[in-house]
Amino acid sequence: MTKLLEWVFGVSVIGAAWALVTFDLLNLRLPEAYKEVAWPMPVYLLVVFGCYSLATVGYRVATFNDCEEASKELQDQIKEAKEDLRRKGLKM
Amino acid sequence: MGLVGFSLLLFTYYTIWVIILPFVDSDHVVHQYFLPREYSVILPGIAALILLLCVGTFIGVVTRKNRKPKVD
Repeated sequence: MTKLLEWVFGVSVIGAAWALVTFDLLNLRLPEAYKEVAWPMPVYLLVVFGCYSLATVGYRVATFNDCEEASKELQDQIKEAKEDLRRKGLKM
Repeated sequence: MGLVGFSLLLFTYYTIWVIILPFVDSDHVVHQYFLPREYSVILPGIAALILLLCVGTFIGVVTRKNRKPKVD
């Protein structure tokens, strides 16, 4: 089974379970509170995923280390390239 | 770090709104800090639409700015 089929299958199972609870398709007569929790679930999961992405990005940007050596190496390479091009006649 | 704090705040508020409030008695005082439940779906929907609008506008502006005269 391909990955796409696996995902489609999983999503449709979860979607069926959600529809069953939200629209009361089997006439299970669940307590009203459960229906109230279930119907915003797709939007809720999207919002939670968005929050998690934001938090991950924010955290990794905040804890990104300065790379001293790489910076110095880059500056040297820039100087070298400029020298080389100047020698070959490119006006800077 | 502000981004982390903001997303934690948003997550907590939204989780309480969607998952915890239905199990709280309707005459508890905490309900006055939350809008009616319909808004818990409408507001993220509007936010998603605005996001799509911003992304589309940005792409449109950048595309138009970089349009070269017809090359043949």
